[in-house]
Amino acid sequence: MTVMDSAIPRAQNRPVSTGSSAIVEADAAALPTAPEALLDAVRALAADLPDTDPARVVDRAVAGLHTGATAAELDALAVRTAAELIAQEPEYSRLAARLLARTIGAEVRSQGVGAFSEGIALGHAEGLIGDTTAAFVAAHAAELDAAVDSALAAGADRRFEYFGLRTVYDRYLLRHPVNRQVVETPQYFLLRVACGLSRTAEEAVGFYRLMSSLAYLPSSPTLFNSGTRHTQMSSCYLLDSPQDNLESIYDMYGRIARLSKFAGGIGVAWSRIRSRGALIRGTNGHSNGIVPWLNTLDASVQAVNQGGRRKGAACVYLEPWHPDILEFLELRDNTGEEARRTHNLNLANWIPDLFMRRVDADGVWSLFDPNEVPELPDLWGPEFDAVYEQAECDGRFVRQIPARELYARMMRTLAQTGNGWMTFKDAANRTCNQAAEPGNVVHLSNLCTEILEVTSDGETAVCNLGSVQLGAHVADGGMDWDKLRATVRTAVTFLDRVIDINYYPTGQAAASNPRWRPVGLGVMGLQDVFFSLGLPFDAPEARELSTRIAEEIYLTALETSCDLAAEAGPHPAYEETHAARGRLQPDLWDGVTPTQTKRWDALRDRVAAHGLRNSLLIAVAPTATIASIAGAYECIEPQVSNLFKRETLSGEFLQINTYLVRELKARGLWTAAVRDRIKRAEGSVQDIVELPEDVRRLYRTAWELPQRALIDLAAARSPYIDQSQSLNLFMADPTIGKLSSMYRYAWSTGLKTTYYLRSRPATRIQQATVAAAPAVADEEAIACSLENPEACEACQ
Amino acid sequence: MRLLDPGMNLTLRPMRYPDFYEKYRAAIRNTWTVEEVDLHSDLPDLDKLGPAERHLVQRLVAFFATGDTIVANNLVLNLYRHINAPEARLYLSRQLFEEAVHVQFYLTLLDTYLPDPDERAKAFAAVEHIPSIRRKAEFCFRWIDSAMGLERLETRDDRRQFLLNLICFAACIEGLFFYGAFAYVYFLRSRGLLNGLASGTNWVFRDESAHMDFAFQVVETVRAEEPDLFDDELAEDVRRMLAEAVEAETAFAEDLLAGGVAGMTVADMRTYLQHVADRRLAQLGMAPMYGVANPFAFMELQDVQELANFFERRVSAYQVAVTGSVSFDEDF
Repeated sequence: MTVMDSAIPRAQNRPVSTGSSAIVEADAAALPTAPEALLDAVRALAADLPDTDPARVVDRAVAGLHTGATAAELDALAVRTAAELIAQEPEYSRLAARLLARTIGAEVRSQGVGAFSEGIALGHAEGLIGDTTAAFVAAHAAELDAAVDSALAAGADRRFEYFGLRTVYDRYLLRHPVNRQVVETPQYFLLRVACGLSRTAEEAVGFYRLMSSLAYLPSSPTLFNSGTRHTQMSSCYLLDSPQDNLESIYDMYGRIARLSKFAGGIGVAWSRIRSRGALIRGTNGHSNGIVPWLNTLDASVQAVNQGGRRKGAACVYLEPWHPDILEFLELRDNTGEEARRTHNLNLANWIPDLFMRRVDADGVWSLFDPNEVPELPDLWGPEFDAVYEQAECDGRFVRQIPARELYARMMRTLAQTGNGWMTFKDAANRTCNQAAEPGNVVHLSNLCTEILEVTSDGETAVCNLGSVQLGAHVADGGMDWDKLRATVRTAVTFLDRVIDINYYPTGQAAASNPRWRPVGLGVMGLQDVFFSLGLPFDAPEARELSTRIAEEIYLTALETSCDLAAEAGPHPAYEETHAARGRLQPDLWDGVTPTQTKRWDALRDRVAAHGLRNSLLIAVAPTATIASIAGAYECIEPQVSNLFKRETLSGEFLQINTYLVRELKARGLWTAAVRDRIKRAEGSVQDIVELPEDVRRLYRTAWELPQRALIDLAAARSPYIDQSQSLNLFMADPTIGKLSSMYRYAWSTGLKTTYYLRSRPATRIQQATVAAAPAVADEEAIACSLENPEACEACQ
Repeated sequence: MRLLDPGMNLTLRPMRYPDFYEKYRAAIRNTWTVEEVDLHSDLPDLDKLGPAERHLVQRLVAFFATGDTIVANNLVLNLYRHINAPEARLYLSRQLFEEAVHVQFYLTLLDTYLPDPDERAKAFAAVEHIPSIRRKAEFCFRWIDSAMGLERLETRDDRRQFLLNLICFAACIEGLFFYGAFAYVYFLRSRGLLNGLASGTNWVFRDESAHMDFAFQVVETVRAEEPDLFDDELAEDVRRMLAEAVEAETAFAEDLLAGGVAGMTVADMRTYLQHVADRRLAQLGMAPMYGVANPFAFMELQDVQELANFFERRVSAYQVAVTGSVSFDEDF
């Protein structure tokens, strides 16, 4: 392949003299980069963005140049300059994205790639694209290339916000292995993902159109790897605890490293490993417990870099009867001996109901060495209780502590590190479709606490994910249910497709996934829906709608999976599931009556006849990165702030609530003064008294909402989530008392898992760009005017 | 009994300045350690930098190498001695610890960034050899010395002299020199470079903000207790001092940006420093000198809440000390 020859002169290195347009046009494909030409380009891109000022962008970019700057530096600076204006006017986000798309297009063309099929051919020659996909694209080149053209004509590239496109450019687009230039545009990238999973061109184009509309996106590993030579497209791997011997533990490190390498996130249990002080018969010495092993795991996971795109990440699950539980809870403390710390591992508690009942009753809690009572990890519900209590009666515990003391330590860890997630073993097993038969046990959740699948020594649970952008399914003041159903049907079909094409880095993963065929369809943009419809998170209508959405998605996903089973047969382990016994997720919950009874009845008949192609269908993942790409709020979360900064490997990005800006503009309140007030209030609008109360209610942040509402919403949708949801909880200033009340409540509603506890720093950075806080005397005047806008004379 | 009255007050109850104690407690909750900062991704970034940017980073690191040590010295030699309230001294003790952590952080950074021992030695000797850093250091030393001769703050002149030292370290050194340095770090960060440096700097920045807050609170307390110290002459001295600091820091910028760095010019840096100087004046209840707006949009990013994607970076927003006991009927 000669077009890739790095000897080709690159546009990047030509000097441009600032203030004049004296640029040598070396080759025809280069950008017109002189300031005047740039201004023309910016004007064209900003034609439908009336609140942007192209001249301002170009002037500022030129002013930031130094003598001897290159043409590429001016282009890059123009992108950044536009991005810097987002806080003042959100429309600059679109403008910055379009400028970026322009430079990406030029970069791709400079590689000699002028069409999708050419990019795939180049990628294949360079060893990036897999043979199957290359052949598929070559066979349908004209049709596929035309699909990109028509999507672009329909404005596909114009849908991106800056942060989203920047993320795509920095992290997702395939790069030439030697010169590191991107070889695909954002549209080529999405079509490449579609082609990697399609059997016909028509299928590929349909799936591409859905993704290109940003109404649905698969999770990052699928976006990274579909169509490439390494088709590891699954997000999550769950591994049962290693056995209590050296060989098993070291084998586990190796498995985790292989799974991590291709962008999988790891959940691993550790409850079977003997505790500190337990006897080692082979040497007649005593064990150092789990901490040194986890320290090694931490180092190992860090060493595996996921293709340079992100760091490896893992979460360790431990049951609270393990004698090392207190040391486990300190693993992320920032004081103490470094050898007993794991700064990068995530930690989760895998909690049986019995523990929560003991906490409730202020009882004692017994800690057992897994060597002494090895059955505990494989038991749940009444059987767990019986074995645990018998062992307690027999005095086989290492020691006992007040249950509340341990619970308080868990709460402390959550407040101090955000980690030590509370996940509930009994609820997880009781409602898991895979756990209908004894011996099929859910031993842990995953890195983001939304996956619940059975594991064993021989089976590593696998899940591939994707999320519907709910905000893209709002029309005419309500949900567009037809569109939502269509999206879910396509999504499930392609999630299922991943299972057969996926590359499995370990034998245990390859053994499990084809048997159970689980997938995890989730959502993002629930907050977008609520903003669009004017529903605060704690309104009863919000809960009703969110539950209705969950039911619609689960029901449609089941229908689709049943259709797939009618074609290809049920998944091989179908007979072991609750579904085979006529029990679907809502049936595993007490007192749940779905709303669409006719469709459910029809579905039940069809499932009885054909079975299901997938044992699990729904998992609400955090969607951090893909929500950015889609320009939506993350999964089921409320907004964190009306104005916040997102820090990622690509840099820092300002995010602003565009719904709020629209509201403020309509009221003539989008002024520098109001912006400063919002900034000074750290993104809160509760003090903007010019806004009516109901508007302020709508735009509360996660810190200002009652967390009970978030828990209630999550609990209400749970009967339609057959796996689980990544539910973050927010508390600006946590105390043990508040946290213990909150998590006890979460458990009592039957939630299967919770995720991070988000809190805020105890001291803050001095704001550098907001007008200095008024002197002390003035502060009283402000407080007065805020509480008492009409009556306060001093402020008139 | 006033805050600057000479002596060694030991009485914590009744507490005269509970605000200082609260600041001490908030600082404890904010403890971080150098081991938490992940510098691993910085090394490949360093390789990506062009010569002009590399020069910027090297100079910057050389400044950081000694900056916090100077502040710590002044704290011990001057501030701790004369701020006579045990709760204030609690805070200062805590601040001293934080300065030590900063020194350790920049030491670790230098050891990581500069594998060659000779280069490291050169960075620590920057105060001697690099004129733009030397000029800033001399400014600091001059002000340390200005208060060193004060055994006890007996006269009005003694107190004024001490106040100027306090204001210099809060407004000019922590409040301006460091703010200047932070701007370069965040500039690089806004381009996705040197995340490790930036995340450690975030925490340093947070600490320095608190130190400045404390110092200004001391100034306000003294103002309330001895208003006659705050005359036009003091204001004039503060302005002169800030103007000199802006000049010294601008000269540093000329050195740092000598190679030409796209997106950051000396002119913008000067404007930014003037903007920061005006803020310091406003915090001291004095009229602004420059009346300019902040030119650096990426600094606005530092003013808003952070939300890190945990896959990528550690979140720096957690608290250390939590209190309370298990209960089931609290609001959440």
